[in-house]
Amino acid sequence: MTSQTTIHLTINGHDHSLEIEPRVTLLDALRDRLDLTGTKKGCDQGQCGACTVHVDGERVLACLTLAAQVEGRAITTIEGLAQEDGTLHVVQAAFLQQDAFQCGYCTPGQIMSAVACIREGHAGSDEEIREYMAGNLCRCGAYPHIVAAVRQAALEVAS
Amino acid sequence: MTIHDLRTRHGDASDGNADQVGGRLSRVDGPAKITGAAKYAVEQQLEGLAHAVLVESTVPAGKVHAIDTAAAERAPGVLLVLTPDTIPPLKTASDWFGTPPPDVPYCPLARDIAFSGQHVAAVVAESFEQAVAAAALVKVSYDEAPAIADLSDAKAGDGIPIDMMTKEWGEAEAAFAAAPVRICAAYNTPREYQAPMEPHGLIAVWQGDRLTVWEPSQWLDGMARTYAEWFAIPFENVRLVSPYIGGGFGSKALALSHGAVAASAAKMLGRPVRLVMSRPQTFTGYGGRAATRQTVTLGADRDGKIQSIVHRGVNETSMDGMWVEPLGSVTSIMYATPNFSSKQNVVRVNSVVPGAMRAPGENPSAFGIESAIDELAYEVGIDPLEIRLRNYAEQDPHARKAWSTRQLREAFAAGAETFGWSKRSAQPRSMRDGNQLIGWGVAAGTYPVRRAYGEALVRILADGTVEVESSSIDMGQGTYTILAQTAAESLGVPADNVVVKLGDSRFARAGVTGGSRLAGIMTGAVHKAAGAALDQLVGLAISDPRSPFHALQANTLVVSAGRIASPRGDGPEVSIAELLASVGADQIEAKGDTMPANSTAEDRYKAYTTIATPLSHTDGDYSRHSWCAHFIEVRVDEDFGTVRVSRVVSALDSGRLYNPKLAESQWKGGIIMGIGQALLEEGIVDRRHGRIVNNNLADYLVPTNADIPDIEVISVGIPDLHSSVLGGKGVGELAIVGVAPAIANAVFHATGKRVRDLPITLEKLI
Repeated sequence: MTSQTTIHLTINGHDHSLEIEPRVTLLDALRDRLDLTGTKKGCDQGQCGACTVHVDGERVLACLTLAAQVEGRAITTIEGLAQEDGTLHVVQAAFLQQDAFQCGYCTPGQIMSAVACIREGHAGSDEEIREYMAGNLCRCGAYPHIVAAVRQAALEVAS
Repeated sequence: MTIHDLRTRHGDASDGNADQVGGRLSRVDGPAKITGAAKYAVEQQLEGLAHAVLVESTVPAGKVHAIDTAAAERAPGVLLVLTPDTIPPLKTASDWFGTPPPDVPYCPLARDIAFSGQHVAAVVAESFEQAVAAAALVKVSYDEAPAIADLSDAKAGDGIPIDMMTKEWGEAEAAFAAAPVRICAAYNTPREYQAPMEPHGLIAVWQGDRLTVWEPSQWLDGMARTYAEWFAIPFENVRLVSPYIGGGFGSKALALSHGAVAASAAKMLGRPVRLVMSRPQTFTGYGGRAATRQTVTLGADRDGKIQSIVHRGVNETSMDGMWVEPLGSVTSIMYATPNFSSKQNVVRVNSVVPGAMRAPGENPSAFGIESAIDELAYEVGIDPLEIRLRNYAEQDPHARKAWSTRQLREAFAAGAETFGWSKRSAQPRSMRDGNQLIGWGVAAGTYPVRRAYGEALVRILADGTVEVESSSIDMGQGTYTILAQTAAESLGVPADNVVVKLGDSRFARAGVTGGSRLAGIMTGAVHKAAGAALDQLVGLAISDPRSPFHALQANTLVVSAGRIASPRGDGPEVSIAELLASVGADQIEAKGDTMPANSTAEDRYKAYTTIATPLSHTDGDYSRHSWCAHFIEVRVDEDFGTVRVSRVVSALDSGRLYNPKLAESQWKGGIIMGIGQALLEEGIVDRRHGRIVNNNLADYLVPTNADIPDIEVISVGIPDLHSSVLGGKGVGELAIVGVAPAIANAVFHATGKRVRDLPITLEKLI
């Protein structure tokens, strides 16, 4: 398992070329090879949701995805969510306003999940938000504020 | 290089007095965290970084017979394989009291195995993937010995009495025997784990005999001391950097053996080395909350007035370390009783040494006493809230001192009113909604006000920006934010103009961030430093001949919204930057600390790098504690026994809140961890191999979003100037205390079944 391979990733609208082993996960490619450390490693076994990114607009766990699997697909990470001029995505702004985080380590994954949750049409009620955000663990216990932030952002997206 | 500039626009009109202490300023570190810009310790990108992976023992007791590293050493990219035989010996470091260590070598990789999961080897490679693959090739053989798996093991015995835990007054046994109403029950809590979302890990780099460690840390100065002692280098040669911490809950306060392994590897290779525990390794790489057993006996009269409390507690510790979880801490102060006895033993088992987890001691202690008094309430037929008021402790029954402040009666009243407690029907199984049994439970909680010392540096720059520096940390409690508010209020500048720098041991020193003490200490230190800086600023403005205020001959000046003026409003009004420019000053700098004025350098070193010199919470005339009351509704499926928490109202007395928005978040977080403790969390021990079976986040169940209802928190605190400079008491640990018994009491009310073993899982109800 030493052979390096060249892969091309499109991340946040930018093309990257990487010489990596085929066994490198998307998560480690982002964090260790591309200095995109906003995507967090909480468990490295698909249990906590901290590494949630979007692949072609859908939420995906970067720790269970090989980098080579997502060649040619559009990858969005937390670093690519705000506009180029720094204007925050409505979900990011809502997280700040509602104090929907404490330590901040699960937060990028929560926000990426929340953006997808709203896009999927799964933010129609607090119960639905709780259920569809249940794959993202937060040990600080920001859940009620995360629900409030997703509810607020969903209303802003709809209007 | 690692500290982000936290100067960002924040707040809006709804924040009101956000720039002041007590205002609802949004987190100043928030923008960095929601955009992914916040770099946590192990995320530094360093040239030549090598990656280390640990190999752990698979047996709970015995000796390492041999380690075959040949295959691992031949594996691609491998730089180094460390075993107990190849890692250079270190010096043994002092403990956290600063006790001088024995002069014996310290080996962070074990030859003698005391628990399953102990580090026995490590592999360092060019890439993380190569290190993981090679670590799997290390073959360890053992001479296994019999082990004691946990407290329920027949070989565990009664343990070691811990005399300093004994608290006694009156004639507890005799009074209990004579009491007309007697309650006696045993309450158990399992191993629980802090499980912060950021795993433990570090990057270690050497430059000559200087060591830099990027590591998530609740105690930079304490950990720097340990690293310095291990490697026999001066304290000043170690720099700990921890700009953000992805949760700690007690688990990130000490330098641990994995840190010694990484720093050793970095020294041997002459390269930076990163070592991050895998999630399963975090269950044995350091200790969670010890499993506990308590017996609580209450003797009372028929009116429910307590005559005697006899309490016996046991917690597990390891074969090679000592952890005491003070189980009588709440038992001895919550209720007035003329007769009391509490004693505690610890029992050695083959586990990693347990550690601090959110409210160590108070948390399991409250589960015992707050369940027992609920049992007493039903026994004598008195409402569970009323019986608590009937036994209200008007002073500290143990220390026999007045409370500094105790808004517990107010907490009961506010919580009951908001929850609608008066509408509760007394009988168990008397409230239902279809096939769901509904139960309402109440319990109280408390946590002592732990006090110690801190330093801060406040610097006013030429452009009017204010910098605050401290080696304290922010792991989500909001230190960055409340210190910005404190400096802003003390100096009369907008919080936007304050840049707070934390998490670097080169900054002004601070002790451990634990025991809910940081906010009270650090707001005091920043207040003092900012006051000194303000005095300098005003002094310059009055006395410097070049100052526009020189001719005014004023005794003092006021600073507001970053502008300086005479208090009478006559004369000029200039910005801080304009004043500094007019007198030719580059900056003004002042240090403030909360140490006694005659403290020596040695006193200070000891105060910040050990826990040997805290101020007792019962020092002087008062007993200082935070208080809370939880009112919780559960719904129990009658057929399946599944328990869901459907409503929580908690009223809390943390004194003055420095930032209510952030304090409310911490309170809710504590309550949510308490829901996990009550219903989900349990380290399951495989008794054959002494192993934690559920050492991952899918099998060790922490609460998910779908487990948590809306939570209402009410602040009933008043400023308590006996507890801190600005009047706050503890926030972070308080709210978890009492949640588990409130839920257990609600489950009893719903079902008529008293569950005394946490967690309350369905098989205990059907």
